[in-house]
Amino acid sequence: MKALLEHLGLDVVVPPYSSKRTLSLGVQHAPEFACLPLKINLGNLIEARELGADAFIMAGGVGPCRFGLYAQLEKEILYDLGYTYESLVLEPPDMGILKFLKEVRQIIGTVSWWRVWQSVRIAYRKAYLIDELERVLQELRPREVVKGTADRIFSFSLSTIDRAKNNDDLNEAFGLAKQKLLHVPTDDNQIILKIGLVGEIYTLLEPFASLEIEKKLGYLGAHVNRSLYLSEWINEHLFHGFLGKKNMNRQFKDYSYPFLNHFVGGHGQESIGASVAFAKEGYDGIVQLAPLTCMPEIVAHTIFPKVTKECGIPVLTIYLDEQMGQEGVNTRLEAFTDLLRKKRALLDPLRTIC
Amino acid sequence: MGEKTEGDGILKYRIGIPRAVMYYQFGTIWKSFFHTMDTEVIVSGETNKKILDEGATRVVDEACLPVKVYFGHAMQLAREEVDFLFIPRLVSIEKKAFICPKLMGLPDMLSAGKSSLPPLIKPTLNLVKSESRLEDFLQDIAKSLSFDKKKTRQAWHLAQGVYNKEMESKRRSFLENQIDCPGLTTIFLAAHPYLIHDRFLNLNIVDKLKKMGCRVILPEEIPPEVQNAELSCLRKPLFWSFGKMQLGSVRFIARQPGAKGIIILSSFGCGIDSFIDNMVVRYLKKMGVPYLNIILDEHSGAAGLDTRIEAFLDMLRWKESKDEDYVSTYGSYLGCDEGTARASGAGCSSTTLFQ
Repeated sequence: MKALLEHLGLDVVVPPYSSKRTLSLGVQHAPEFACLPLKINLGNLIEARELGADAFIMAGGVGPCRFGLYAQLEKEILYDLGYTYESLVLEPPDMGILKFLKEVRQIIGTVSWWRVWQSVRIAYRKAYLIDELERVLQELRPREVVKGTADRIFSFSLSTIDRAKNNDDLNEAFGLAKQKLLHVPTDDNQIILKIGLVGEIYTLLEPFASLEIEKKLGYLGAHVNRSLYLSEWINEHLFHGFLGKKNMNRQFKDYSYPFLNHFVGGHGQESIGASVAFAKEGYDGIVQLAPLTCMPEIVAHTIFPKVTKECGIPVLTIYLDEQMGQEGVNTRLEAFTDLLRKKRALLDPLRTIC
Repeated sequence: MGEKTEGDGILKYRIGIPRAVMYYQFGTIWKSFFHTMDTEVIVSGETNKKILDEGATRVVDEACLPVKVYFGHAMQLAREEVDFLFIPRLVSIEKKAFICPKLMGLPDMLSAGKSSLPPLIKPTLNLVKSESRLEDFLQDIAKSLSFDKKKTRQAWHLAQGVYNKEMESKRRSFLENQIDCPGLTTIFLAAHPYLIHDRFLNLNIVDKLKKMGCRVILPEEIPPEVQNAELSCLRKPLFWSFGKMQLGSVRFIARQPGAKGIIILSSFGCGIDSFIDNMVVRYLKKMGVPYLNIILDEHSGAAGLDTRIEAFLDMLRWKESKDEDYVSTYGSYLGCDEGTARASGAGCSSTTLFQ
C-alpha cells in the first residue's frame, strides 16, 4: 500500500511498528469486547496522527465480519478524541480499487492511468516477492545452524525492497536477498515438524499481534506454512483476482466440506478448509490463531474437534488479546511441539532415527 | 423416513425446535408452518440452569451466551423422542444484511459435537442478494422432509400472515400510547429479541422493571420502516440485522420528546454488540439521554442486577424532579466533550456516523 501511494507521489506516513504503546492506546479508547485488530489499528491511527497524518486509508467490507465497520467506528472514536481524520475506505463490492484510485487521483491531481497501473503493478509485485522470501524464511528457521541468521537477512531485505523504485531495482533486491538466504548454513540432520498456521488474517500476518508465534514455532524446529499470504489477499479482495496467479482460498473452501458448509465471514471457512488440506499433505499439526471474540474463528474452533477426529491432525487454538504474555505462549507451543514429536516417533520410528 | 401420507390428519413427524436465539423472533412462523404441514412440533422448555450448564459444557468457552443456550436446548430435545431437529442456517433475513457469523455456522457447530443428536434439518435462508431466495429455503425444507413443494410454499405464506398479524398487534400498542406516561418512568430496553424474551437469561428484567413502576418499550414494537428511516442517513449502512434494529430503534426513541431512560442489554462476547453498543453509547452520550449498559453471561446474579436497576431508576426520577443530572458518569471519559455536544442541538452534527 505504501509502495503504491508513494509511487503516485503522495506523502505517506507509516505508523511506527505496533508496540506495547500502540496497543495500550488502542485498548484505552476501543470498546472492551472489540477484537484485538481493532484495538491495535486504533492505536496505529493515534500514533500516525502524532506524526502528522490527516487522512487514513483502510479496506472495508460488507460483513458479516466486524472488520467491515472498523473505519466507521474508528473515525467516530477519533472524532470524539478530537482528531478529525479524512478517510478513504476501500469497499470491495463497488469494484474497490478503481473507485479508490479515482479518489486518490482527485486528491493528488492528474496522473496518467498508465502511471497508476504501473504503481499498482509494482506495489503488488513487492508484496508478492516479500511473500516469496517469507516462504524461504519459514523453511530456513528450523534448519539454520545459527538461529536468527535468516531473520536478520530477511528484515534487511525488506528495507531494500521497500526502497526499490522500479522493476529492475526490485529484481536486483529480491535476487540478492534470495541468494543470501539460500547460502545460510543449515543443519539437515534433525527432525523437522511441519505445522500449518491458520486463522484470522490480521493475527496471521502481523507478528506483533501474534507475539511472533510463527518465528517461535520455527525456532522450535517446525517448518511453518500459513493458510494466507498478504499478496494473495490483496489479489483476491481488492482486485478480484485481476492480477492473476492461482487462487488458494477458493481451493481451501472446497476442502471445508463437510465440516463447515457455509461461508461464516472472515476466514472461518478457510481455516477449516486449509487445516483439512494441510492434514492431507501430511502436516504434523495445526495452530489456529484468532483474536479473542472473533466470531468466524469461534465457529471454526467449535468444529475443529471433528476435523481432528476424522483427519487425525492435532489442533492448538490460541486466542490473542491484550492480556497475552510471552511465556504463556512459549509454554503452550513447546508442549504442543513436544506432543507432535512424540506422535511422529510413534507413527514413524524410522524417520525419527535418521 | 416416515410414511408419506397427504392430508389425512395423521401427524407425519415430530420435529424439535430449540427455544433459543431466533426462535424468539420467528417461532410463530415456524410453529404455524409445521402445523399446517401436519407435523408435530416439540419446542424445548424455557431456559433453566440445567439447560444453560449443559450447553456451556458443549461449546468452546469463547462462544457467546445465546449459542451456549442454543446447544443446551438442542441437547434437551435430543432426549425427547423427536424425528428431526429443525436447525435452520439463517444467514440473512433481509437484503444486504446478515444475522451473525456464529448463527451461520450453528448447524455445523452442532453436528461437530460429540453427543449424538437426531438428524438435523438445516435449510439455508440467505436473502442477502435477493428476497426471492426464500424459495431455496422452502425447497430445502421440502426436500429434506419430502413435503409437497407447492403445499410448502402455501403453508409458509399462511404462517407469515399469522406472524405479521402478531407483530402488528404488538406495534399497535406502542403507536397508540404516548412515550411519556404520567406516573410511569419510561424505559426503552435495547436488546436482541432472544435476550428480551428469555426470562432466565435476562433475570426477568422486563417484569422487574414493570413492578418498579416503569413503562417498558421493546425494539420490536417500533416498526421496521421507522428503524430504517432512522438509519437512512448513516454514512455506511450497517450489515447486521440485529445492529440495525438496535441503533435504529435507539435513535428513534432518543429523539422523541419526553423523559426516558435506555437500558442496553447484551450478552458477553457478542461481536455485533461490541461495536453497535459502543456507537449507541456514544450517540446517547451526545444526546444527553441517560442509559444503563448491562452485559449478561452465565455468572449473572439477580441481586447485582436489582441494585443496578434500582440505582438507575432512582437517578432517572431525581433527574426529573430536581432537573439535575445524577446519571452515571460512565462514558464521560469516552473522550467526547458533553457540553459542546449537547450545545450543538440534535447531536447528529457531532458524530461522524450520521451525515
